[in-house]
Amino acid sequence: MYATADMLLTSAKAHAAEQSQEPAIEVVLVRAVLEGDRDGFAGLYDLYAPLVHGILLARVPRAEVDDLVQDIFLHAFKKLHTLRDESAFGPWIAMIARNRAVDFHRRSKVTVEINDELRGSDTHDSKAREILELIRGLPEAYRETLVLRLVEGMTGPEIAARTGLTAASVRVNLHRGMKLLREQLGFMEGL
Amino acid sequence: MNDDYLWDKTGQPDPQIQQLEEILGTLRYQPKPLAIPNLAVPRRRNYFPLLAIAATVLLAILAGGIWLRMRPRNEVPKQQAKIVEPAAPKPEEKPVKPKSAVNQPVLATNRIHGKRSASSVLRKREREEALMAKEQLMLALRVTTQKLHLVHTKTSPATQIKNQHRIG
Repeated sequence: MYATADMLLTSAKAHAAEQSQEPAIEVVLVRAVLEGDRDGFAGLYDLYAPLVHGILLARVPRAEVDDLVQDIFLHAFKKLHTLRDESAFGPWIAMIARNRAVDFHRRSKVTVEINDELRGSDTHDSKAREILELIRGLPEAYRETLVLRLVEGMTGPEIAARTGLTAASVRVNLHRGMKLLREQLGFMEGL
Repeated sequence: MNDDYLWDKTGQPDPQIQQLEEILGTLRYQPKPLAIPNLAVPRRRNYFPLLAIAATVLLAILAGGIWLRMRPRNEVPKQQAKIVEPAAPKPEEKPVKPKSAVNQPVLATNRIHGKRSASSVLRKREREEALMAKEQLMLALRVTTQKLHLVHTKTSPATQIKNQHRIG
């Protein structure tokens, strides 16, 4: 079922209500860091680490995600003065994470494949990884939104606010991605 | 199927989505402290002073360019007048005032130029007269030559023999 006009309007209002608070927090934190408050960056890290984690999880092997999250936030700390619009910290760091994932695949494609296979036989959460693999096989527009929703537990309005996407496009991506995932999951036992 | 639960976790929960959340939740981000090395806090660079200086320099260059374009039309005649004026000093001032370095060559050249121009005019006239005289002389010589040639042909014996039949 596609989103109706009323649903979109309601979600847009909720999104606007959330956006009116969230950007204020990140703007305050970014300004604090630029004025010399290092602790302000810890606040940004707490706020946006799940977003970066989800974006990376949708693209790179799980074993590499934690280190990459640290690298990305360190890079963001060094380059924070280049951010023109303080309220755009979320979309900015999301773009850094996407670019870093592309770089990762460009540099170490073979290593990634071996690591994935080795880890598949050891861990307990094999079902989770199987589903994650299915999500990674979906079109790019859907996989990131689905991971943020199903893995990181973010709501649609939160995803929209932090990634800079519109609420409507997040809603469409969630709906279509979930439809495709359900079709894929039809072949799996126990679901 | 209600999409509200998928969208913002409101409304009637979808059991399949809940099950997916439960399974995939094991992969969720586990908070870890961020290790930032002891780096200096980045400061935003203020480019306004640099931009202001660049704009001022640009404006000065533009103004200079416009002034240089306008200047020759307005000021060159004044400079010429300044040079010419001291070139004609009063005769009383000549012994009192020493000749300046600027005026001296201007006056000297004017004098020489004046003499030269007068003499050249005279020479031109003389030359023209001389040329006329030469032409007249040459014409007279030519006429004389022709007449002498005619006399010579008439008085020569060959012409006399030829003309005998006419006489006879």
